[in-house]
Amino acid sequence: MTRPTAKEIKALSDVAGVPVDSDVAARIANSIGPAFEGFAPVAGTLPFDLEPATYLLVQAPRVTK
Amino acid sequence: MSSEPALMSLTAVAKAIADKRVSSREVTQSCLDRIAKWNPKLNAFMAIEADDALKAADSADAALAKGGPKGALHGVPLAHKDMYYDKGKVVTCGSKIRKDFVATTTSTALQRLKDAGTVRLGSLQMVEFAYGPTGHNPHYGAVRNPWNIDHITGGSSSGSGSAVAARLTFAALGSDTGGSIRMPAHFCGVTGLKTTVGLISRAGAMPLSWTLDTVGPLAQTVEDCALLTGLMAGADAEDPTASDLPVPNYMAAAREPIKGLKIGVPAAFYVDDLDAEVARALDETLATLKKEGAEIVKVELPDQRQLSAACQFVLATEAASLHKRWMIERPQDYGAQVLMRLQNGLAIPAVSYLEAIRWRGPALAAYLAAVEGTDAVIAPVAPMPAATIAESDVGNSPEAEAVIQRITRFTRPINYLGLPSLSIPAGFTKSGLPVGMQIIGRSFDEAMLIRIGAAFQRATDFHQKVPKLP
Repeated sequence: MTRPTAKEIKALSDVAGVPVDSDVAARIANSIGPAFEGFAPVAGTLPFDLEPATYLLVQAPRVTK
Repeated sequence: MSSEPALMSLTAVAKAIADKRVSSREVTQSCLDRIAKWNPKLNAFMAIEADDALKAADSADAALAKGGPKGALHGVPLAHKDMYYDKGKVVTCGSKIRKDFVATTTSTALQRLKDAGTVRLGSLQMVEFAYGPTGHNPHYGAVRNPWNIDHITGGSSSGSGSAVAARLTFAALGSDTGGSIRMPAHFCGVTGLKTTVGLISRAGAMPLSWTLDTVGPLAQTVEDCALLTGLMAGADAEDPTASDLPVPNYMAAAREPIKGLKIGVPAAFYVDDLDAEVARALDETLATLKKEGAEIVKVELPDQRQLSAACQFVLATEAASLHKRWMIERPQDYGAQVLMRLQNGLAIPAVSYLEAIRWRGPALAAYLAAVEGTDAVIAPVAPMPAATIAESDVGNSPEAEAVIQRITRFTRPINYLGLPSLSIPAGFTKSGLPVGMQIIGRSFDEAMLIRIGAAFQRATDFHQKVPKLP
């Protein structure tokens, strides 16, 4: 997973219906880029059967005695 | 009893009113007197409703004279972050966009506190739409830290942290989506409880991220937070995501000793790049807990940077989705910082957001496996004390982005996992700024955090320190 470029962000924001200009797109790329790098080891590695509801199963209390 | 009732803790003042040792009017007037003196310096209140508060206090006193107290907080004056809907009241959410928004419902959390007998003092300042960690607000001005008014309070529950620290209110609701209770608690030297996702109903609380949002209190003491959490927690027909688990007796937990508990200290990440005074406070906190009988053990946690990144994906995307209509129709009415943060959400593809949502279960499982055998984990809330308002002002300070990245580093991973975390005052820097530690627990195990935090406060007096009027 690589951080999106300013050009890609401009396209994404256009499609989202909230267009931003090139300067804003460049600023967003800088701001959100580190999150893409941080998540890179996880992205594209999740197993096929994993659903969001797994979280609720794991969250169910296992309170310490 | 203190000669100035506003200086009492929430639990102490509630008991004093119920025992008729002090009236709700005397207590409310004491808070209003402090607000009149302090608020011009702090800017902690969004609205001050002195006349209505005194009328409500008189009604509370009259009701008590006729019978018993209405509830556990009979006649206790409180003010809360201005994002909790209160029917018929303006709820600005710290924004220009909602400056005239009148709530048509009352939030469940607030209603439960009202049912316990509280009196409304007014509403508290906050970061615009709760989306920022410093306490700056371009529409209503920055809230100031009572320990040094040139420094930030932390956000987004900026008014809550400042007002509780200055003893303008006995406690205040905050909200924590990325650290917004724990950071003001740390920077302002008060106690704050970020609850487990789902413990307290979010109905009628302004949303920022429906996956991550949590409701919780800031107060002087752990015991105060225990009382408030016990009153607010539990199932709610208005919020199907609220847990229907039985609500534990948190006040009883606050009285239990900690001898024999195992408390984990992260071997990395939360102990890296700390300011020396924060590192010293951590060492001293561990020594105190050890003296109280706890065993301190090192824990190797999974990569917390990945959790923080996932938190940013979820928060930014959900916030952008919630705000999309106003981003299209009223972009000029947002402050620059918040609009910039909202725009970040536009850059995250749907598949990346959903990967972050899907990974939450395995990420929590990995964390729980890493802390197996411990009762809780302790870590600093932030690697530094409060920055100055000037140096953390995005757009006007070259260091601001770096400061913001640094102060949010230790809170976001916990939000992603949805875990509870209790921030407690744990010392002061040489320049007199507070330092806090967070005690992180398992899902729905707030009772354990309260047990440990209350034991720490029985052994220390950081939470009893009161700032002097500048």
